[in-house]
Amino acid sequence: MGCDVVTVSTDTEYVHKAWQEHEKALARVRYRMGADPSGRLARLFGVYDEETGLALRGTFIIDPGGVLLNAETNYYNLGRNVDELLRKFKANLYMSRKAGEVCPSKWKDEGDRTLTPSADMVGRVHEALQD
Amino acid sequence: MPDTGGTGLKLGQKVPDFEIKTYEPARGDFGTFRLQDQLAQERWTVLFFYPADFTFV
Repeated sequence: MGCDVVTVSTDTEYVHKAWQEHEKALARVRYRMGADPSGRLARLFGVYDEETGLALRGTFIIDPGGVLLNAETNYYNLGRNVDELLRKFKANLYMSRKAGEVCPSKWKDEGDRTLTPSADMVGRVHEALQD
Repeated sequence: MPDTGGTGLKLGQKVPDFEIKTYEPARGDFGTFRLQDQLAQERWTVLFFYPADFTFV
């Protein structure tokens, strides 16, 4: 199933173009770079800073039905870990195909242990994660 | 201080349709991203907000 990453800041698409063309670290970028100069989208997602006119480091995973499944925001001074974003995306993708299963904190990829919550597991999560 | 997502969007609920102008490095051209198109093509979307171009992301 396909996924598209769209980056968004309050810069215009023209500035995105200039940045992508100048910054060597972005030479291989293929994702779309969204322009939100009015801050409308950043406000919708609750990451707009009215004092600075900038968007905080928010990451949102939306499924193919348009449902918001994950939201996380870092303040200005903390970058994001792409491995963790990928883990969350893979977990959401996996769970969308396996109704009833949940991915515990250490789940990294398909094949790792999942849990299927039930009355039997109440008070026995530790055991369920061990065997 | 910005809030942390208290503007009405909730996990497990549908995101209202939106569209934004884009720069698309893969084509070297400008375009428009619409959430509606993602739904029509049954594709997942990851929105990745950051403060400003020409800074670390």
